[in-house]
Amino acid sequence: MDSVNKIYRLFLLVIVGGLAWNVLPILASVIIMLVFSFLFTTIFLQSVDVLERKIHSRTGSVFLILGGTLTGIILFIGGFISNLEVQVKEFTTKLQEKDFAISLESLSNQSKNILPDFISNLIPETEKLIQLTKESLGSIFQNILSILGIAGGLFFVSVMVFIFTIILLIEYHDFKRSLVRFIPNKYLEIGLRTIYNIEQQISKYLKGQILAASSVALLSIIGLFILNQFGANMTLVVFIGIIAGLANLIPMVGPFVGMVPAILIALMNNLGNEPALAHQLFGVVPSPFYVFDIVFMFIIVQQIDNNFITPILVGESVGLHPMAVMIVLMIGGILIGPMGMLFAIPAAGVMKVIISEMIFVSKNSHLL
Amino acid sequence: MKTLYENYFKQGISKNPILDVMSHIPMFENLAPSELKEVARLTHEREYKKDEHVFKKLAPAEGMYFIIKGDIEILDPDSGTVFVNLSDGDFFGELALLDEEPRSASAIAKSSSKLGGFFRSDLLTLMSRDPKLGNKIMMDLSRVLGERLRQTNKDLAKLS
Repeated sequence: MDSVNKIYRLFLLVIVGGLAWNVLPILASVIIMLVFSFLFTTIFLQSVDVLERKIHSRTGSVFLILGGTLTGIILFIGGFISNLEVQVKEFTTKLQEKDFAISLESLSNQSKNILPDFISNLIPETEKLIQLTKESLGSIFQNILSILGIAGGLFFVSVMVFIFTIILLIEYHDFKRSLVRFIPNKYLEIGLRTIYNIEQQISKYLKGQILAASSVALLSIIGLFILNQFGANMTLVVFIGIIAGLANLIPMVGPFVGMVPAILIALMNNLGNEPALAHQLFGVVPSPFYVFDIVFMFIIVQQIDNNFITPILVGESVGLHPMAVMIVLMIGGILIGPMGMLFAIPAAGVMKVIISEMIFVSKNSHLL
Repeated sequence: MKTLYENYFKQGISKNPILDVMSHIPMFENLAPSELKEVARLTHEREYKKDEHVFKKLAPAEGMYFIIKGDIEILDPDSGTVFVNLSDGDFFGELALLDEEPRSASAIAKSSSKLGGFFRSDLLTLMSRDPKLGNKIMMDLSRVLGERLRQTNKDLAKLS
């Protein structure tokens, strides 16, 4: 009878697994939206609760806090876009000038002089280089259209996440109580402890990440200001710093993503600028357009973040071994890409809490 | 004046059975109606069948219970000693709000009972979000525990 039961359970498991395997991809986007909403709810819950006690309206406090945040985000993006527009206009004017071809030629010649012969031979001739660059720029602008399509999808997801977050924030306590009602009496206290530990795990992780991202943003801004003192001619410094800080939320890949806008701005601003082209890092390493200075600066910021800020603010919150963190990140990345890397660590932290409580329950079932 | 206050400001409380019970528990009796509602929002209502355990001795302790309706027996299952029989409006297990020690006795429903539960996780959440209210509850909890200790000392003195 026991073996029949086991076979029956195994059969049921296979059916449920098969169903989940087929249904999950369809529901994946909804699940991701809900996960994002839950994370935002965790971030804003405390401030909503505090404001609610002051203005005696939960809905009012949710709309005030989310509205304030949304206004801030819109102002940031609006400011960034209008500044970037000016930047792109200036760059387009530069492209139409003869200087562009001259600077590319000069860059090509310079790199040929610096690099060993066998690498120099790999670099195409100047005319080809100019043609190649112009074609690449053309394709970049074509790609902008497809990026706009993705942005449309992203806008829809953002609106849905925003709506879910509003509902979750308004109903959070009732929602939690309804969830607790499903816990059988004998598991009530263990269940509540698990929920609390999960909430704490996520909340600490998010607070740590936000603080770490703010620190990276601040350090990047300071670094870029210092580079400007040495003639790097960087603009949109605050925006670049904030983007670097936000990109830092995605482990491992993020820091490199954060460098990209800085390098692009440096290239745009310094194109046709001879001293910038001939610039050398520490007077030794050739660093045309301050590119390697920027990379070096971001590496320093990352080292400060990895060795001082993150271990203090984030590392302890999850309590995972660094090796486990890397494995978890790789699994997250393989399963759902950068999004998976973003959620991998808190998800692993939650799994850790659930597994430790399950072990506790299995060892102490006679007490429940 | 008190009657006027109770008639108008505590009217909402008496309509809700949980709030009604909570307003008579020493730990919460000094809270303003709005504060009491705030705390009540964090409590959990549970129903227990006759002879069902609310908790067992040595089980992990996470919070206190108050009886909305029913009868609860607190006993030591090893010796069979019944410490106390509790009924509507009584509360038990409040020590678990302060420490993480396992339960020192078992609690069993002697009739079909409806309980309210207020747990350490809820108190900790409240303390981080509204320290003033959290401290108020903690002070009253300390007062309740102090009174219990004083009573135990008196009982011990009588025995010796």
